Amino acid sequence: MKRTLLSAGAAVIGLLFFIPLLWVLTGSLRPGSETFARLSPLSWDSFITVHPTLENYSKLFTGDIGRATANSLLVSVSTVLAGLAICSSAAFALSALRFRGQTAVFAIVVLSFLIPFDAIAIPLSDMFRDWNLTNTFTGLVLPGIGNGMAIFLLRQFFLAIPTELVEAGRLDGLGWFGVFIRIYLPLSRPALIGAGLTLFLFQWHSYVWPLLMGTDRGHILGPVALANLQGQNFVDYGVVFAGAVLLTLIPLAVILGFQRYFIQSVSSSGLK
Amino acid sequence: MDSTGEVSRVGNPMRTRQPRRLGKATKAGRATKADRAGQPGQGRVALLFLLPALISLALLRLIPAGVALVDSFFTESLLRGGRVFVGLGNYSDLLGNADFRKSVGVTLLFTVIVNPLQIAVAFLLAVLYTQRATGSKFWRSLVILPIAVPPAVSAVIWSVIYRPDGLGNSFLDLLKIPAQPFLTSTEQALPSIIVLLSWIGVGYWMLFLIAGINDIPDDIHEAASLDGVSPWRRLWSITLPLVRRPLAFVLVADTVSNLLVFAPVQILTKGGPNGTTNLMMYDVYNRAYAIGDLHTAQAEVILLVAVTLIIVALQFRLLRGDDR
Repeated sequence: MKRTLLSAGAAVIGLLFFIPLLWVLTGSLRPGSETFARLSPLSWDSFITVHPTLENYSKLFTGDIGRATANSLLVSVSTVLAGLAICSSAAFALSALRFRGQTAVFAIVVLSFLIPFDAIAIPLSDMFRDWNLTNTFTGLVLPGIGNGMAIFLLRQFFLAIPTELVEAGRLDGLGWFGVFIRIYLPLSRPALIGAGLTLFLFQWHSYVWPLLMGTDRGHILGPVALANLQGQNFVDYGVVFAGAVLLTLIPLAVILGFQRYFIQSVSSSGLK
Repeated sequence: MDSTGEVSRVGNPMRTRQPRRLGKATKAGRATKADRAGQPGQGRVALLFLLPALISLALLRLIPAGVALVDSFFTESLLRGGRVFVGLGNYSDLLGNADFRKSVGVTLLFTVIVNPLQIAVAFLLAVLYTQRATGSKFWRSLVILPIAVPPAVSAVIWSVIYRPDGLGNSFLDLLKIPAQPFLTSTEQALPSIIVLLSWIGVGYWMLFLIAGINDIPDDIHEAASLDGVSPWRRLWSITLPLVRRPLAFVLVADTVSNLLVFAPVQILTKGGPNGTTNLMMYDVYNRAYAIGDLHTAQAEVILLVAVTLIIVALQFRLLRGDDR
């Protein structure tokens, strides 16, 4: 009896959280004129369509949202590549090497991720305007690459690599760069994937910065373009919903693909 | 997203304090040994590895914060030609500004409601979804799903739900409740935003609490139920105290992230109606770009960053106190 009640509660709450997304998914497979037509009264066919059409998606790919999603992908992938290179080498110095001022450098790293990025986006965008980085991909990517959280995650992992391996590598004539590339990086795949996910989601989910930095058609990012579309007077909600689905499916696929690492990085990052 | 059992592995800042401290101690020990052996320092190599990260952290995080701090003491004056030092003038302007004061009030009210609400719901859901019940893991993943949705996209989705002819009102209709204005009402706009933010956030915070609950050894619960302790008592006297560490962490991280809420306000209400959803982060943006008063906006940025740092510092004290 108790077990049944718990199962029912778990199911009802799960469904309640899912309903908005289900409605969006169904709406994206229907002509825009029908988005609100089947809502009153609420019935099964408000959430399920028997005649799905991909019309909205084809409009999407020829329109601005498709372009903006491609921009988002370019920015996020570049951020992951550049960010991993920068953050892992810093983490290497902070874990494998010994030098004076190490504690101070680590303190700077921690401080930099305690300062909330969105709050300093306005002064930073002012600086970027002076440097003519508005509406450039460089301007969009840069704030994502030096991620204190990613450095912190990677350092934690690197600290667990036995020093005997480093000593052996050094004796075999490896330079520090060799130790980093040949020993540390291959051993740290899970941590690199976790940090890569942190970097990817930081960019994919960002809104304040792309709103300030990328406003022209060639540089606008997905979420900003979708929000702009929604704010107009005559809106095709079928297309808006298709855009929402597309912008959600991409990070979802990435998260599900690397599920194990995602859970680890979420639980170890904490501060979003 | 089921493998929460793995959570404790890589090291949540709050859990790995102990090992980290040990790590530091051995590191220090090794360093002195190396010094005694007269090994050359690795400073130059380290600098090469660190340089790109240090430059980008300084340039993209610390310097803008510094610039905002300096700018907040200056103002632009046409009469005296360019930048003029005004000391705390921008701050006193802010404090005297009715819109700012109202924004602080709204932000406080919002903070006091949204955080306890989200944490209580996240905790109860974490308890529910760690019970052995059929399909529990599947339903749990539906609660976590909104994590994948970019916050701005969630805001767009909910703006359609809250339309007069949207999903929200047809749901109320099902429950025989008359249609509500949601975002256009001064009473309902802020609660509407709170509902949307909880839909986004609760699953995320639940993950940490599920990890905490899974870390509680099974025999504690078994012993208690053998002693005839009721499930409700067990929840209060065993589960809750034993997850206080992740709970404290979630409290602080959630508070900080809710302090910086921007996209839903900008997309759904633009701070209105009548300033009732004008949270501070939106007020900063509005002050800088719509009103064009960059220096006062910088002062507000500094206040926001300061409050965030205070909350985070409190967290470190809280968690440290917990160790003893």
